[in-house]
Amino acid sequence: MIYVRESHVEKMGKTQDVSYEILNVLEFNSTRKRQSVVCRYRDGRLVLFCKGADTVIYERLGTGNGDLNKVTRVHLEQFGSAGLRTLCLAYRDLAPDLYESWNEKFITAKSSLRDREKRLDEVAELIEKEFILIGATAIEDKLQEGVPNCIQTLSRAGIKIWVLTGDKIETAINIAYACNLLNNEMKQFIISSETDAIREVEERGDQTEIARFMKEEVKKQLKQFLDEAPQYFCSPSGPKLALVIDGKCLMYALEPSLRIMLLTLSLNCSSVVCCRVSPLQKAQVTSLVKKGARKITLSIGDGANDVSMIQAAHIGIGISGLEGMQAVMASDFAIAQFRFLEDLLLVHGRWSYIRLCKVVMYFFYKNLAFTLTQFWFTFGTGFSGQRFYDDWFQSLYNVIFTALPVVIVGLFDQDISSSLSKKYPELYKEGVRNMFFNRRVVAIWACFAVYQSLVFFYFVSLSSSTSRDSDGKMFGLWDVSTMAFTCVVVTVNLRLLMMCNSITRWHYISVGGSIIVWFVFIFIYSGIMTRFDRNDNMFWVIYVLMSTSYFYVTLLLVPVAALLGDFLYLGVQRWFFPYDYQIVQESHKDDADSINKPDSQETKEHLTPDEARSNEISQLPKEVSKHSGFAFDSPGYESFFATQFGKYVPPKAWDVARRASMKSKSKPK
Amino acid sequence: MDTNGATTSSAAGGGSTSKSSSKKHSRKPVYSRFTQQELPACKPILTPGLVIATFTIIGIIFIPLGLVSLSASEKVVEIVDRYDESCVPSDYSNDKLKFIQNPSINKSCVRTLTVPKLMKSPVFIYYQLDNYYQNHRRYVKSRSDKQLRSVSDEKSTKDCSPEDKTVDGPIVPCGLVAWSLFNDTYGFSVNSKTIEVNKHDIAWKSDKEHKFGSNVYPKNFQSGGLIGGAKLNSSVPLSKQDDLMVWMRTAALPTFRKLYGKIEQDLQANEKIQVVIQNNYNTYSFSGKKKLVLSTTSWIGGKNDFLGIAYIIVGGLCLFLAVCFILLYVIKPRPLGDPSYLSWNRSPAGHPN
Repeated sequence: MIYVRESHVEKMGKTQDVSYEILNVLEFNSTRKRQSVVCRYRDGRLVLFCKGADTVIYERLGTGNGDLNKVTRVHLEQFGSAGLRTLCLAYRDLAPDLYESWNEKFITAKSSLRDREKRLDEVAELIEKEFILIGATAIEDKLQEGVPNCIQTLSRAGIKIWVLTGDKIETAINIAYACNLLNNEMKQFIISSETDAIREVEERGDQTEIARFMKEEVKKQLKQFLDEAPQYFCSPSGPKLALVIDGKCLMYALEPSLRIMLLTLSLNCSSVVCCRVSPLQKAQVTSLVKKGARKITLSIGDGANDVSMIQAAHIGIGISGLEGMQAVMASDFAIAQFRFLEDLLLVHGRWSYIRLCKVVMYFFYKNLAFTLTQFWFTFGTGFSGQRFYDDWFQSLYNVIFTALPVVIVGLFDQDISSSLSKKYPELYKEGVRNMFFNRRVVAIWACFAVYQSLVFFYFVSLSSSTSRDSDGKMFGLWDVSTMAFTCVVVTVNLRLLMMCNSITRWHYISVGGSIIVWFVFIFIYSGIMTRFDRNDNMFWVIYVLMSTSYFYVTLLLVPVAALLGDFLYLGVQRWFFPYDYQIVQESHKDDADSINKPDSQETKEHLTPDEARSNEISQLPKEVSKHSGFAFDSPGYESFFATQFGKYVPPKAWDVARRASMKSKSKPK
Repeated sequence: MDTNGATTSSAAGGGSTSKSSSKKHSRKPVYSRFTQQELPACKPILTPGLVIATFTIIGIIFIPLGLVSLSASEKVVEIVDRYDESCVPSDYSNDKLKFIQNPSINKSCVRTLTVPKLMKSPVFIYYQLDNYYQNHRRYVKSRSDKQLRSVSDEKSTKDCSPEDKTVDGPIVPCGLVAWSLFNDTYGFSVNSKTIEVNKHDIAWKSDKEHKFGSNVYPKNFQSGGLIGGAKLNSSVPLSKQDDLMVWMRTAALPTFRKLYGKIEQDLQANEKIQVVIQNNYNTYSFSGKKKLVLSTTSWIGGKNDFLGIAYIIVGGLCLFLAVCFILLYVIKPRPLGDPSYLSWNRSPAGHPN
């Protein structure tokens, strides 16, 4: 039993609570796209109320009231163009015996153990027909704050953005205009199932013919667009391309025979908008790009209907919000607002890529430099396999002496600050093109590792061939190798500092700490001799070494000579063949303190370029399009855009309704 | 039908608005510069100025250092004399192996060395061996440091085989390293006056005091059929066997020299020194070379130009590179941070990919 507070026009201003008994609830699901309720009035009248998408309601209307239907349809289109989300409401009077018989079927279906969903759907179909249209509602659905900006920044970064939505085509196009994905200069290819030709065939009702006809239509259109597209590539300043496709057409376009054409066409377009897509189709489109085009795909969504899409993509991002946590639970990353995607990709994603490349390259480099030193030694041992370094040195090299600094680099290295990363989104393309971990980069690091290992081995061994200092005594194998190992540890740690873009105090601590730990270790190791040692090779080595001036002279020479090549390469590369991020670093090297200012600074910055842009737009002569994107403006821009364009803004639908309800003047049907 | 009332259409404005601001207790994590990646950092940029300055500084520091090292090395006077070919009597010149392995043949040999420049005391005497792989893996392994240290570990000869024990008990010191002890001897005289050679204090102090025990005596040493080198006096403890200690510090490369003794008097220039060599050691079976070296030392060690030359080359190279960079900077300058060099500003507007 529910109570509805009604106020009727006859009793002006007075409200009363009327009770209605709810007999059945036919739940909403995305295949039916509607929900219904059977209720009994106080006076015993049985009514079935239904609310749903306009297409499904219209399919089930009865034959009367053709005028109302037509008028409502016109209104619906107007609502859609204004960017509102529409719903239709309809009702049907039920005869008691009809209801009883149906109710039995309903109860059976509801309590069935197998295929409950399907049976409920079937039972619902039995009663949901012969509706009488009540009217339509329209909802304004504001975009989140910062979305158009975010999308524009991401497309500057070379990321192609597709919109997959369950809304109508008009609504979807409007959203795309609001987000700057579509604009009037783009050449739009529209594949829609709402054309007259298709409606005509649908009215005839023959399912197979509809399917065949639609497939033909879709094929024809795809072919036509594919033929048209190349002419826009010839001129570099030509208009960009956009594709708008409808869910029904998509169903046919995703079939194996047509999907290649669809893929080719859509990859040539800068934006693709798919409307009226079901969750399954969202996943299918994502897989089409993922597998067919072999590009990295990212899906972002906030509702349960986005879950399949999120899981189909390489990276799935869920927005935690009012629609619940299903998207978040299915996703790889969860963010709170859409605009954080910009941060996630351009700042953290980019930094992650750079850090990962550095860490991996450095690992290979340091081990290569270390191991090749032993390799050169084998030439002098008669290839007997004698190791150059003591066992402990080798084991602890990667664990203690060179481990921590690279971890610090992997955590903290930033080539440019976060605000600059967002200001220059084109830098993201460096990652897309994999510029920091390709064969050339690896080869260069490997060459320098070889060069350094040669320096380590030969400089140390050739310079220790005569007396160690003025007392005439000679060095042995283990003394030479300790000297070489000290040089290796110092050089490899200093090389790390050379490759950092930003050096925090943790870098100093870890690099200095690693070198100090090496010395502490060797002091302890060579100062202790116990009964359980396998050999005493290392006893007192470092103390003797450090008492000679040879040690210090060599320790100054070898790291400098080894790093000379790298330094030269870095200098030449930065000067003559700079990467983009290096140029950005240079141009902003003097705004040292902006990284630490709080976020308020940044939002202020965001407004001014937009205002500047809007000023520019308003000065250009522009054709005003039907799709104005007003309804999806983010808060703060509405009045601004309106005044700029000098346009009269039609009152919003909810505004009208609010005013109407205050006057309580609505007429009964 | 009029359903005005209860549910006004849409005023809720649906959609997803930001929710954080109205919550009472925020779930935002505690701010710390460490976790927010806002640590103060030094962001070094390798500007041309920095590159040139670095090269210049390195050049300026290294070249004098190199000159100093080189001059120190040049001051060292060294006499190197290869004697293994010429110390074989002519009748055995085709069968050196037979010569060296026959204990009854007299192995003395007299050589004359001329002192090129004044050699101030102490003058160090080394023997240098070539093509002798003291760094061979099996050789380096074949010793027992435990045994050398104390008598109680006499029996730990595990790695020493085959030179580990005889029927009479373990060999002390065991292993190939000790077994192959160098046994050529040298006697020096100038103008028929013997020069005294100080053979004390030629081993590392740490070896003497810790690695070789003062109560460990040689036992069963070189008693097998195959003699590898010198015999040891079994009444002298290991910590006083300097030659053994010097020999057992295995060398790094196949060409090495080891300290034999010291001459504590000056050797005048152009003096002729007579050396009586006992050519006992067998390097003929593997075409090794034996050389006698007399050398003075300097603060940096013996006669080794390598460090000096390396410093000079590196310093010179750095200065040369600094000059090159200055020239290049003048010829082909690139203004720092110029946005027109950004790749998306440089190439003509092409079709976006």
